[in-house]
Amino acid sequence: MPRHRDYDDDDDEPEEEEEDVYEEEDEEEEDDGGKAGRKRRRSDFIDDAAEEDDDEDEDDDDEDYGGGGGGGGGRRRPKRRTAFLVVSFSLHCLLSVVVLIVRFSFADFIVDSGADIPDEDGARREYRHRLLPHEDQEEDLEELTRSIKQRYARSPHVEYDEEATDVEQQALLPSVRDPKLWMVKCAIGREREVAVCLMQKAIDRGPELQIRSVVALDHLKNYIYIEADKEAHVREACKGMRNIYASAKIMLVPIKEMTDVLSVESKAVDLARDTWVRMKMGTYKGDLAKVMDVDNVRQKVVVKLIPRIDLQALANKLEGREAPKKKAFIPPPRFMNIDEAREMNLRVERRRDPMSGDYFENIGGMMFKDGFLYKTVSMKSIRTLNIQPTFDELEKFRQTGEGGDGDMASLSTLFANRKKGHFMKGDRVIVVKGDLRNLKGHVEKVEEDTVHIRPNQKDLPLTLAFSDKELCKYFDLGNHVKVVSGSSEGATGMVVSVQGHVVNLVSDTTKELLRVFADNVVESSEVTSGLTRIGEYELHDLVILDNKSFGVIIRVDSEAFQVLKGVPDRPEVALVRLREIKAKVEKKGNAQDRYKNHLAVKDVVKVLEGPCKGKQGPVEHIFRGVVFIYDRHHLEHAGYICAKTQSCVLIGGSRANGDRNGNPMSSRFAHMRPPPRAPQSPMRSSRGGPPMSYGGRHRGGRGHDALVGADVKIRLGPFKGCKGRVVDIKGTSVRVELEAQMKVVTGKCFIDRNHISDNVNVSVPFREPSRYGLGSETPSHPSRTPLHPFMTPMRDPGATPIHDGMRTPMRDRAWNPMSPTSDRGGDWEDGNPASWGSSPQYQPSSPRSRAYEAPTPGSGWTNTPSGNYSDAGTPRDNGSAYANAPSPYLPSTPGGQPPMTPSSAYIPGTPGGQPMTPGSGGLDMMSPIGGGDTEGPWLLPDILVNVRKSNDDTVIGVVHEVLAQDGSCSVGLGSSGNGDTIIAHPTEIDIIVPKKSDKIKIMGGPQRGATGKLIGVDGTDGIVKVDDTLDVKILDMVLLAKLAHA
Amino acid sequence: MFFHIVLERNMQLHPRHFGRDLREKLVSKLMKDVEGTCSGRHGFIVAITGIESVGKGLIRDGTGFVTFPVKYQCVVFRPFKGEILEAVVTMVNKMGFFAEAGPVQIFVSNHLIPDDMEFQSGDVPNYTTSDGSVKIQKESEVRLKIIGTRVDATEIFCIGTIKDDFLGVISDPGTNA
Repeated sequence: MPRHRDYDDDDDEPEEEEEDVYEEEDEEEEDDGGKAGRKRRRSDFIDDAAEEDDDEDEDDDDEDYGGGGGGGGGRRRPKRRTAFLVVSFSLHCLLSVVVLIVRFSFADFIVDSGADIPDEDGARREYRHRLLPHEDQEEDLEELTRSIKQRYARSPHVEYDEEATDVEQQALLPSVRDPKLWMVKCAIGREREVAVCLMQKAIDRGPELQIRSVVALDHLKNYIYIEADKEAHVREACKGMRNIYASAKIMLVPIKEMTDVLSVESKAVDLARDTWVRMKMGTYKGDLAKVMDVDNVRQKVVVKLIPRIDLQALANKLEGREAPKKKAFIPPPRFMNIDEAREMNLRVERRRDPMSGDYFENIGGMMFKDGFLYKTVSMKSIRTLNIQPTFDELEKFRQTGEGGDGDMASLSTLFANRKKGHFMKGDRVIVVKGDLRNLKGHVEKVEEDTVHIRPNQKDLPLTLAFSDKELCKYFDLGNHVKVVSGSSEGATGMVVSVQGHVVNLVSDTTKELLRVFADNVVESSEVTSGLTRIGEYELHDLVILDNKSFGVIIRVDSEAFQVLKGVPDRPEVALVRLREIKAKVEKKGNAQDRYKNHLAVKDVVKVLEGPCKGKQGPVEHIFRGVVFIYDRHHLEHAGYICAKTQSCVLIGGSRANGDRNGNPMSSRFAHMRPPPRAPQSPMRSSRGGPPMSYGGRHRGGRGHDALVGADVKIRLGPFKGCKGRVVDIKGTSVRVELEAQMKVVTGKCFIDRNHISDNVNVSVPFREPSRYGLGSETPSHPSRTPLHPFMTPMRDPGATPIHDGMRTPMRDRAWNPMSPTSDRGGDWEDGNPASWGSSPQYQPSSPRSRAYEAPTPGSGWTNTPSGNYSDAGTPRDNGSAYANAPSPYLPSTPGGQPPMTPSSAYIPGTPGGQPMTPGSGGLDMMSPIGGGDTEGPWLLPDILVNVRKSNDDTVIGVVHEVLAQDGSCSVGLGSSGNGDTIIAHPTEIDIIVPKKSDKIKIMGGPQRGATGKLIGVDGTDGIVKVDDTLDVKILDMVLLAKLAHA
Repeated sequence: MFFHIVLERNMQLHPRHFGRDLREKLVSKLMKDVEGTCSGRHGFIVAITGIESVGKGLIRDGTGFVTFPVKYQCVVFRPFKGEILEAVVTMVNKMGFFAEAGPVQIFVSNHLIPDDMEFQSGDVPNYTTSDGSVKIQKESEVRLKIIGTRVDATEIFCIGTIKDDFLGVISDPGTNA
């Protein structure tokens, strides 16, 4: 071995005895404890990439070990220490890590640079050369030897054996006392150069250069690492270097990451024949390939691929009529057909491969056999880890040539990629390799790679140990299994046949046959179809697609749905992505069959005509005159059949009477109500009575889903007063999750929607659903009626638009031209006060309800669409989308503001708009006064207020009298009002919010002026016992003022 | 396999049924509720054959409903792995065929159909032997062996095989007609 010299206590040993030298070093190394060997645990790395190790102290131990790299695959732990200056270049690329490390010490310089490429035999080729003459060092030798001995004699030598334990390894990790690693930015592509320059500098300058080593990693561009104690040392060393950016920050590598700098994550996988790999680059990128031959020396492998060759192009090329156009596409994989190639006048040579003795067809330098392409590639260009060939790919490879036997063997290479813990105790397994092939048994115990099985055969020993690669899971016919990985992951089914270790199973849901690897399957009693849901859409939901069509989700793939479209003539299945689905239809519609029987969901019908004639089953969805029937005997489309309602006939009775009864009832109910109360709750008006009178529209249900998730308050029945969130809606009944009681109640048919009222969370100020101009149904708005005909047609196009915010602009456009500003302006103006005045009972309920009243212009809509908007109006779910929504309504405000955020739009113009920002209490109160003629003076005598008079001081006072016009009040100061009397403008007055059990005065609504006692506070609502009537009312706190003690 | 067993159930009866024929009402409600249902443990309840006992009713607070514990005898049908059944083919496709034995649906995959039978698509999809002597099509009666069952809340689904001795078609719709 061409080494120059080893300065070392074993100096006189022949160089071939390197191992001994290493051992010696080991002994030394262990002396400096955690420092010296800290990089040692990266033995794999060391094997491949040149490496030198450290001497921590500046002492003069001058040993020189070339980066004598990895002999024979980790056969020897390379513990070598390199004194002073070692540069080792590794050209060895197996791990595609090339490291350049320069080490310094300051007493002496020895440079060794080596590149070694281990080959199969463990032989090494090392190229080393001295960079410097070392004659001058010889004198020092003895001294050095002595000093080394001295140094390392401090502690007893401990033999490191090859298998250092983890703990020992841990001890070698760098600590705070070790020199640090600094990351220095340098010119890109100059990393090595910089390292070498620094080395030269170290040689020239000697000990004054206080850095210890320089590391340039080939995979890290733009940076080098410098090992030093202090940043200043690094700076000093870098000073004047051309390729180091002096200005750049020098970064400290955290101790924890220091080892990572020089360690390599992946282990070299020993490639064996028949391993499955994937190509990393080129035309075949991503393609599955099978290793046919491995040349470790040259780092080459021969892989078998399915060729992707465009014969025509190849022919052109070979004949020299080069078509220089760039190939944008990659030819599809296809087996090479030699005859075809001959037809193209390609020269096909049949050659015998001298190595293997096999015959190959050679076309244009490419080797083919049995249609496969045999390609020699560098080990670098294939991926060997975690290769999971899909079934199809393997099928293809199997197609030609190999019989079942070879297949089994090659499949078993799949096992190499098994996850840990693949086998579990109790698993049934079958032996797939070796003498005991086809032996079945149960897993008894699993150790690392060894699986102990209890064979089913009687006369065999109790347990046998196998490598996990020799085993495969085994299933019996009829086993119920679940697929745990692969393309059909998550599906469950029953095993119908087992072929080798491919299992055929019948999926539980689709009744389709799935072919999966036994490896990917576990026994399970669970029944699922795999994925049944993406986003809010679930299997078997009726959905509206983007383009106005609709259909039933019949299958959920990983990122798309299969939708059976609502086209009755022929089954049409579309693959639809999540975003292409516009909405889910939850409405349980009804329709009439051919004989005018009433059809409802769940009724059993029979198809009388069309392609699905004769099929029958329960109706799952009814929509736009189309029914979706579930026929369990129908195998396609998950059993769904689409038919026209007109071509169906009801069989047996209709089941869904409940629903049908519910509706008339609620409508009757609604009509019975006294008119002023009708608008009581926006929800109600939309749902209950009024819409009914517009029969024929699909309103009732359309927004059902949107109510889900809404916060509601139950107004009647045993749960009266409870708040909750709607979790489900069925027909006219809702299920409400109560906030207070931690339970879910079903409003039976009777606690229908009428019995809940929207209960806005007032703390979200911009949630105010101005747009749902709903409540304004009030009959007392005569002016509105004419608007209806007007508006209604408008609504249809955008039928369910509100769900997605992005549609807003469109609606906007639709609306703007429609809004007859002048007319409606007037409308608005009288409408509004009217609503305030005329539905007095309504007022107290909640700020939101007022909000509904107010934007009268919207009322034009309210009749028809309200269902939609009110539902959609529970904006909690998707606030952002809704934030935009109000804009369409805006045009109708007198001010004609351009659409903008609700608050800004509303405050200036519309008195009614104000209460919609319930969060800002002050504003709320003021606004009626600003615009309010009908509302009249807002403050009332005898209430306790805070007066902000001057200097922001607030003084408590009692309103004595409300003066006309501007609403100013004469306020007597002092809590009893006995002090000075001043005149204060309403803007200077803040009401004192009453507390529980305070006497209060009601300042708004039908009870205005009445006094009472606040017996409780519930969020923004106050529970008030009115003095006169002794009624208990729930009023908005905003309307309550504390009464002065009279 | 059919079993005649005694089961118990708590029946809730609306107060409007209280009167002379309470018991009849109870029984008819029981039949309506129970017959045709399926439980994983017992299989399909085919028919109620008699009432063993009706316990004391308990009036529920709030609703006025009365709960009676009722013991009844019934015939249940539960398929088992390995059981041989006769079933009527309801549908044939290339993946295999479906057959019904009473309420139980059985799927026979084409892997579990003898290899000499091939799928013939067409107007009447069927599986036919190469010599055409045996044909499985809709309405055929087959004898099959159950190799796997899956029990849901509402149905039992089985996988069957006819790839065994003495299994297969026992009567053809064609011959019967």
